[in-house]
Amino acid sequence: MRVTKRYFRMKLRYTVLFLSLFILLAAIITGCSKKEDVIKIGVAGPMTGDQSKMGIDMKNGAELAINEWNRKGGVLEKKLKIIVEDDQHDPKQAVSVANKLVNAGTIGIIGHFNSNASIPASATYNKANIPMITPASTNPQLTEQGFTNVFRVCGRDDQQGLVAATFVSEVLKFKRIAVLHDKTTYGQGLADEFVKAINHKADVVYYAGVVQGDKDFRAVLTALKGKRPELLYFGGIYPEGGLIIKQARELGLNIPFMSGDGLIDQKFIEIAGPASEGSYLSFSPDPENIPNAKDFLKSYRSNYGEPGPYSIYAYDAANVLLRSIEAAGSADGAAISKAIHEMKHTGALGELEWDKKGDILHSPYVVWEVKNGKFTEYWKPGETNH
Amino acid sequence: MFLQQLINGFTLGAVYALIALGYTMVYGILELINFAHGEIYMLGAYITIISLSILTITGLTSKSLILSLLIVLIITTIISGAYGLTMERAAYRPLRHAPRLSPLISAIGVSIFLQNYVMLTQGSADKIFPHILPPGGLSMADVTLTYMQMFIIITSVFLMTALHTFIRKTRLGKAMRATAQDKKMASLVGIDIDTVIMVTFITGSALAAVAGFMVAMYYGLVNFYMGYVAGIKAFTAAVLGGIGNIQGAVFGGFLLGILESLGAAYISSEYKDAFAFIILILILIFKPTGLLGERVPEKV
Repeated sequence: MRVTKRYFRMKLRYTVLFLSLFILLAAIITGCSKKEDVIKIGVAGPMTGDQSKMGIDMKNGAELAINEWNRKGGVLEKKLKIIVEDDQHDPKQAVSVANKLVNAGTIGIIGHFNSNASIPASATYNKANIPMITPASTNPQLTEQGFTNVFRVCGRDDQQGLVAATFVSEVLKFKRIAVLHDKTTYGQGLADEFVKAINHKADVVYYAGVVQGDKDFRAVLTALKGKRPELLYFGGIYPEGGLIIKQARELGLNIPFMSGDGLIDQKFIEIAGPASEGSYLSFSPDPENIPNAKDFLKSYRSNYGEPGPYSIYAYDAANVLLRSIEAAGSADGAAISKAIHEMKHTGALGELEWDKKGDILHSPYVVWEVKNGKFTEYWKPGETNH
Repeated sequence: MFLQQLINGFTLGAVYALIALGYTMVYGILELINFAHGEIYMLGAYITIISLSILTITGLTSKSLILSLLIVLIITTIISGAYGLTMERAAYRPLRHAPRLSPLISAIGVSIFLQNYVMLTQGSADKIFPHILPPGGLSMADVTLTYMQMFIIITSVFLMTALHTFIRKTRLGKAMRATAQDKKMASLVGIDIDTVIMVTFITGSALAAVAGFMVAMYYGLVNFYMGYVAGIKAFTAAVLGGIGNIQGAVFGGFLLGILESLGAAYISSEYKDAFAFIILILILIFKPTGLLGERVPEKV
């Protein structure tokens, strides 16, 4: 009895030892082979939470481009692998996600979505010398840090604010403007650029911040109403934007409403309902009218359904990144960044070129309007009347 | 202008007061701050949206809006009451004789669990209440009182009066008051403490669920973390009026709503949420028993 028990214990011990050695060995082998075989591309944005729709649109766009390249055989004769991380539009989370992506061995990043996530994360990528291309962060500060590895395929808020201000002062010809923002880097940044651009052409009669995540804006809207503004401008994202315009209408504040690219999403119309009708939004031109975007729209729809506003940007950002890896001929971050600076890319958005800072050369902004529950292009800079 | 701010604040306060009642009732009887109470309010809002979309599929919503909203309200109250009951049985009753800190931590655990449970089952994106309610309201000069605001104020005042009558006039209410005064003594005279505690949790949860129901319609936007801030604000309202004191919770709720609206309008909208917490700190420092007083003396 005693002998058999000891025998079994010994046997068990050896089995465990053997198994663990085997697992360890297997892990080393697969670990090695993974490192050899693929090129990893990171995608980071708000994948969960109230802005998750934007993050997922972005992920889909990048994934579509990467799948297309993989079908053609990948880059530098290696397959591409996408690593998606969720920054929950939180600056702290963005930095930890950036570190995670750097440690995972990614050689390029598509992201982040929100400016307040992109800016802190860009420092991490800069230290690791990994190029990052944001499809959506428009705050000027991002490319003013002097980093050579940071790029965007979207415009900047100073360009966006200027277009909005021109539209308000020259087309709508309003003199009394109320401005609200959500206190984030993007929202307040955009609102400030708008104020700066409109300063001598109209009076800003009310300026205040609201809390992101709040649901009741009636107090600030009532106070604003007392100043008798002719237009309400909001810098922020759609959850707050939708509630603000809805509650403004409920309070009998029936003035035109204008905002930026953070509100360009069907969710805005869903939240605000009929109150969203007639809202003006600054954003880049409708992809439906861009000849180059046809193929993208077709394959996106067949894979993921209706594209979101930033799907096409993520798609182009991924294509720019992959083309530059190919042009650089290596996975070296500095060489890839250099290749982007020198590149002239004809993508789904049309022609893209970058200046020294990593911004695109031409301001893409136009004004959209919500009409019959849909976003439609309304005005282009240069048109004096409408 | 000022009148409009008062209306805004009064509506906000009505919601806070309804949630605060649940805090204060549970505290009055168990001396437990039920930190998961805000989550019941959130669940109420979710159940409202889910059951309404089920009714929309059956076609009832388009036939009779009022009837379907009434059915939604009843479903919401019942399910949320069941959640409250389960919460008490699963997380608080086993700890009833444990040190006071244990049920408190259990409450925080329940709160985190419910938030994540809703996030995983319903997704983390905002849920939107369909635009089916007729817009409009009464307008006089510059002041607007929407039908929704009217509905919220009338419903909450009605529920508060009903609760008051229930506690003052019925046998069960009397048993609740007795239990709040002295649990041991109450059980010695033949009151079933377990039943009383169960009724307290169900009532409190049902009130929070009604608040969730109304808020889902009022703002049209629901998410899994909405219970957290609302819960803390309602807790502030309960402390403001004197925790354990039913009139105090109502008074504190309305006062907090109005102060918050006036603060956001005349001081700074950026610090809107901070006002509630500044008030909480001031009250805890200068009058920890609340404006109307904690019902401590009765216990002695």
